[in-house]
Amino acid sequence: MKTIILAFVILSGGLLIYGTIDMPAWGDPHSPANSYVSPLYIEEALKETETPNIVTAVLADYRGYDTMGETTVIFTAAVACALLLRGWSEGRKERE
Amino acid sequence: MLEFIISKYNFWLYVILMMIGLYAMLAKRNLVKKLIGMNIFQTAIILFYVSIGVKKGSVHVPIIVDSHGHGAQLIHAADYLNPLPHVLMLTAIVVSIATTGVALAVLILIYRRYQTLNEDEIIHIRQARQKAGV
Repeated sequence: MKTIILAFVILSGGLLIYGTIDMPAWGDPHSPANSYVSPLYIEEALKETETPNIVTAVLADYRGYDTMGETTVIFTAAVACALLLRGWSEGRKERE
Repeated sequence: MLEFIISKYNFWLYVILMMIGLYAMLAKRNLVKKLIGMNIFQTAIILFYVSIGVKKGSVHVPIIVDSHGHGAQLIHAADYLNPLPHVLMLTAIVVSIATTGVALAVLILIYRRYQTLNEDEIIHIRQARQKAGV
């Protein structure tokens, strides 16, 4: 079983490394990720949001609704943990 | 050839890290080790995305310096790192924290019920209990 898993992992890793041949070079300023929308955000963020930190401007201003949804994710996880672990200390007392 | 390796080796390192996580998720029998594998996998993806936003040369982190006199000076996009992968990975970190927390809570419940975290032993105990009709 472990040899099958190892072969599968090596195969998929090899495929992913084969895929990196087409990736732009590391640190290339003209790579696609750095050239289409990101210059707009860098140049307009201070003017439009008055926030010097661009990451904060994008997270809390341009993507504000997404961040609000993220707080829902965290809240759901916290409620799920609380419901799962409810009565944990009482159960331990019963066994002792 | 050497130039090709230098321009791509970071992606290869992240692929290797990701495959370590995938192997741990598939092959390990201990549930906590599976969870650690999942975290390694997520960390590899986060590192991959952050490395996409790197620009070589004299660039700043995406915080605009001298912002008090704003409007006066021109901001060149080539002087700052790409902020968008950083923002997206903040979202990914939030999701990974949520999944890890819920998974650890479930693991505590599993340990309380079966007194073990080994997958094979849990399956064995379940089958024994089903035969006994508990």
